[in-house]
Amino acid sequence: MEFAGFGTWLAAFLTLAAFSFLYKDNPFFRFAESLFAGVSLGYYVGNVLNQTLVPNLFEPLAQNFGTNWDLLVPGLLGLMLYMRAAPRIGWISRYALGIYVAYYIGVDFTRRIHGEVLPQIARTIRPLNSLEATTLVSLIFIVGVYSVLVYFFFSKEQNAVTRPLARLGTSFLMISFGAAFGFTVMGRVALLIGRLNFLILDWIYPTIGLQ
Amino acid sequence: MQALLLRLLALDRRWIFLLVLISVMTPIIVPIGLPVTTTSSTRSAFDFVEALQPGDVVWLSFDYGPSSAPENDPMAQAFLRQCFIKELRVIVTALYPLGGLGLANQSVAKVTAEFPEAKYGVDYINLGYKDGAAAVMRTLGQDIASAFPTDVNGRPVSEFPIMQGLRTIRQVDLVFTASTGLIGEWWITQVYSQFGTPVIIGPTAVSAPKYYAFLNSGQLVGMLGGMKGAAEYENLLAAKHETLGKYYRGTKDFTATKGMDGQTVLHGVILALIVLGNLAFFLTRGKKAGAA
Amino acid sequence: MNTDFGRVTLVVLFAIVPIVGIALGMRAPALRSKIPLLVAFFAGLIPIFSMYIPKRFLSGDSGMSPRLDQWLIIVAGFALLLGLTNVISNSYRKISRRDKGWPYAIVLLAGLFIMGGFGIYGAISRQGTGFLPNGSPTPFRWVETTVFQPLQATIFALLAFFMASAAFRAFRARNTEATILLVAGAIVMTGRVPLLEFLAAPFPALHPAAAAASQFMGKATEWIMDTPNGAAQSGIIIGAALGAASMGIRVILGIERGYLGLGKGE
Repeated sequence: MEFAGFGTWLAAFLTLAAFSFLYKDNPFFRFAESLFAGVSLGYYVGNVLNQTLVPNLFEPLAQNFGTNWDLLVPGLLGLMLYMRAAPRIGWISRYALGIYVAYYIGVDFTRRIHGEVLPQIARTIRPLNSLEATTLVSLIFIVGVYSVLVYFFFSKEQNAVTRPLARLGTSFLMISFGAAFGFTVMGRVALLIGRLNFLILDWIYPTIGLQ
Repeated sequence: MQALLLRLLALDRRWIFLLVLISVMTPIIVPIGLPVTTTSSTRSAFDFVEALQPGDVVWLSFDYGPSSAPENDPMAQAFLRQCFIKELRVIVTALYPLGGLGLANQSVAKVTAEFPEAKYGVDYINLGYKDGAAAVMRTLGQDIASAFPTDVNGRPVSEFPIMQGLRTIRQVDLVFTASTGLIGEWWITQVYSQFGTPVIIGPTAVSAPKYYAFLNSGQLVGMLGGMKGAAEYENLLAAKHETLGKYYRGTKDFTATKGMDGQTVLHGVILALIVLGNLAFFLTRGKKAGAA
Repeated sequence: MNTDFGRVTLVVLFAIVPIVGIALGMRAPALRSKIPLLVAFFAGLIPIFSMYIPKRFLSGDSGMSPRLDQWLIIVAGFALLLGLTNVISNSYRKISRRDKGWPYAIVLLAGLFIMGGFGIYGAISRQGTGFLPNGSPTPFRWVETTVFQPLQATIFALLAFFMASAAFRAFRARNTEATILLVAGAIVMTGRVPLLEFLAAPFPALHPAAAAASQFMGKATEWIMDTPNGAAQSGIIIGAALGAASMGIRVILGIERGYLGLGKGE
């Protein structure tokens, strides 16, 4: 048996082992699940090392320390994260964790405001001064956005005005969730099609001599 | 009747699993070849790429893992084929930690084998994977080589002609992100919003509904929603470019268009299950209420 | 030695201050939370200010913000592997105590060490994790395609089965909201695929009608996705973004400090 053939058989065995959960929980599935968890972590190790730490940290330090000396700091901060596990000096990791979390939250802040809030609000500001089909659609859109926002406004108790609006917002949300369900079905089925394609076309057919 | 319906409601779910399995397997063994219609979001994505000129630079990011490969692989590969046909210069990256790089390597190897005239480092380059997607995107706005000092194999990017004179993502004519989850969204809300580079997204169907908001607001050039979007794109390509038409009609490999057969059958089955479930539920509930 | 203002300031803020803080914290436990919060405040502020203040020291090529971005790519790499310590110690404990299911912990560790080992070997030997110069896969890549990819893909593919079962058991038109959800879902599921053409396939007389109906359902789906769904999604995005942004301000200002394992008063 050639090596590539062995790979296909191994992949097929693991695929079936994972699918076996559909019948009931069993040792094959547990094996596949544990192997997946381990291999995934190993995958992280390999990629982080080869694709980020070597080219962005180790090589710049080794090849041009004069320019990149400051990269020692993120390297040390990265290691400092792991001090969480040390019982008495775990608090030292707060420095690294604080920098890491606050930085990404800062980036997220700019993204939320400039990439989400402002453009989405701009989209809802539309001229309604002429009566056309597009005006009606714009109107529905604006009512939808506004009522959904009212529904999400939890800081104040709802009153006679906001209650029906919030209820309308729920209807918009339900349409959206229904649509999302339809799309989700599509996505999940796609994954199954992918697996069955592999089993049938790449494994069973070549095995029984069909093309 | 009531007893039958009650039995139906109590049906062991493994029968449903079997039904699902059969309805997806059958079209793989006996393909149907159902038609695929085009939606406007896919059409606008396609038209935008078609309007690009030879030599323009596009950025293809593999922001998904094996968990959604049957949806995202076909769209990334279709886009890559279109780029090579149109002689665009392609920069490939992967920002999804759990498997993005492996799929990028796979798709690039597969498609470049179909286009032997495309030269590595001149017509396309694979910059590999990088951690911290949000920080990477910020860095791309300042200096691409600071985020990606080397290509996927560890060779300095300055060695490659394709990277000459290309300093920031602002100089890139289009970003195409095939994505699952948040990273695709960040190309829109961070890269487009802050640097103005146009973005096309190929999300999984699960996350597609959200992107209609970004299409509406003009933050997206176009979208290929899940396997259906990929199938639409394949059909547009096949109709426009003769060589790709031959490829998509003749290939034995998996394509999104082929996958749509199984999608259609299983959609029918699931709709039937919903109707049946509701019928059984309401009929038995009514009788119970009547009896009480 | 490169002593750009940006780099030196970053080193002072995120290396010197923490070192002083750690030294002080050894003696005064109260400072173990205060100084990290101060450092975090600056780390959060730099990316925000760099957007609004176009000054060279902040957002110029040699300014603080671009260099901090490069730093955080590296820190993110380390952070991604944070789970390792937990997984290894938990699995080790499980095996040494012979807890229930301990053989699976061996499988997990074996997967981790084999795959991780190939990854480390790829980095040391410089062959990487992709293809060798002759086009054949590295050991890392071989395990990736034969073990990692099929397992991840299959575990997610299981969801298709559970979703079909849930559609049958739980998707009920119990009230108005649920009915709206169900109808929208049904339209979209019909409109996104050529279902009507498929159903009409055995009856040639129905083909034109099926094609027209299918086209109508497709249009209806597009409208639902664009308008009511688009509006709802816009509302969700605006609401969630404002929530996240205000939470972000709380974190940067040190009001929200749970992520450092700190309570309110600490």
